[in-house]
Amino acid sequence: MNASPITSWEGATAYFTFANNPTMMSIILTLSVLVTVGIIVASVVHENKTYIDYQ
Amino acid sequence: MEPTAPTIEQLQSLIEMTTTINMEVFYWWCTAFMVIIHVGFLAYEMGASRLKNTLASGVKNILAFAFIIPTFFFFGWWIYLAMYNGFTPDFEAGAGGLPWATSMGPNLSDSASGIFWGAFVLFAATTASVFSGAVIERIRMSSFLILAIILGSAVWILAASWGWHPDGWLTTQWGFHDFGAAGCVHMVAGFFALGVTINLGARLGRFAEDGTPVDIKGHNMPMTVIGLMLIIVGFFGFLGGCMIYMGSGQWTTIFGTPVTLSAVSFNTLMAASGGIIGAYFITRQPFWMMSGALVGVVSCAPGLDLYYPPLAFLIGMFASMVAPLTDRFLTKRFKLDDAVGAFAVHGMGGFIGIVALGVFSGFPNIAEGTPNISFSGQLMSAVVMALLGFIPGYGLSFVMAKMGVLRVPPKAEVAGLDLVEVPLEAYPESNPSSKSHTPTPISAPVEPIATATV
Repeated sequence: MNASPITSWEGATAYFTFANNPTMMSIILTLSVLVTVGIIVASVVHENKTYIDYQ
Repeated sequence: MEPTAPTIEQLQSLIEMTTTINMEVFYWWCTAFMVIIHVGFLAYEMGASRLKNTLASGVKNILAFAFIIPTFFFFGWWIYLAMYNGFTPDFEAGAGGLPWATSMGPNLSDSASGIFWGAFVLFAATTASVFSGAVIERIRMSSFLILAIILGSAVWILAASWGWHPDGWLTTQWGFHDFGAAGCVHMVAGFFALGVTINLGARLGRFAEDGTPVDIKGHNMPMTVIGLMLIIVGFFGFLGGCMIYMGSGQWTTIFGTPVTLSAVSFNTLMAASGGIIGAYFITRQPFWMMSGALVGVVSCAPGLDLYYPPLAFLIGMFASMVAPLTDRFLTKRFKLDDAVGAFAVHGMGGFIGIVALGVFSGFPNIAEGTPNISFSGQLMSAVVMALLGFIPGYGLSFVMAKMGVLRVPPKAEVAGLDLVEVPLEAYPESNPSSKSHTPTPISAPVEPIATATV
């Protein structure tokens, strides 16, 4: 997969992976947000299970 | 071949590159030093917890740090850049802070955004750590994380946009000056913690049936005291990050007024010293002495760029005498259980600091039309910071408490959160909450090992 937005370093500015590909940036950003939220949700589930013995 | 002299353009380019790299290097190391603040908070909170909660407190602290970083990337930096007017965003100004902006990643034409974002994200994590200490040993982890994210990636940075930004409305309209972020970091975090503590309630056993406070001692006071000293070390990165490196001229505060590292060095050390001595005079014990050092720096933070050093010493001393008394008053009068005195140290310390600069004020601001630093401007701004911290902390935790998700079940609290939540033991050979530990019988004298003969 070609993730580079540049073909030469001459005059390069934003050169991070997929800097010229808004679709891929959106996918990666959305995934990051979902993972962040999802892990908090998972910790709620973990707590509910562990607290069963202590209710 | 004779070497040719560099042209003016080449020299100018070299100077510009050196200036940019110096700026990057400066904030890079400030950020690294700010990580030491979290080393300190980690040691401090684990030591202040009872043996049965040691690792749970550590996990909570580490996760706050970890979750603040991505969430501050997702929306925190945008809030800072866009919300300086109040609640009406400036979308144009905020565009550079959107998580898909070209400045929010490696970019050869922008050497500033990442390094400033990094410094600010460490300020954000500091606010979460301040809050974290107040609620140890009984808050539910997931609820803590949600509250920490809201505080660290939304609330404090909104306060920073209002009062720690060259165009923030508190400064442009009231002349607010707060060099070292006593308002947006310390007051907001302290008042947020106060609001949550009210709804969270005290740890079981913190008060006797007749309401008399019962001291709950942490399991490792030396670790706590060393942690507090590490926070002071990290403060030098924090305060360095409060300065704007101007490659071509005088360093400035975030408000554009001139400042030198020398000025901040004088006053930070004098304030910390005053804080330690003041707290020693009142309490005679090392926990509050080192907390007093924090109070000293926090209470002088608004004017670390301006004070005559002995005045910083006296302000720090006064505030560090008030802080333990404040904590004692809240505990006895209102039955509040702020496990580490976070409100007294950061909330009250920050409030005293902002108002103190109002008392010793009169300094001009830089931006045209901006009022001078004044008592009324400082006092009103301090009230705004207090409300901005308290209202979301109280409101959100009130809702969580009503939903029954704010606090761990009482039996889990009694058993200890390490046993309930953490698949690891802090001190497996002695931990009373150990899952696997069986007492080791007193062993018989060890038989000498037979020496092999060759």
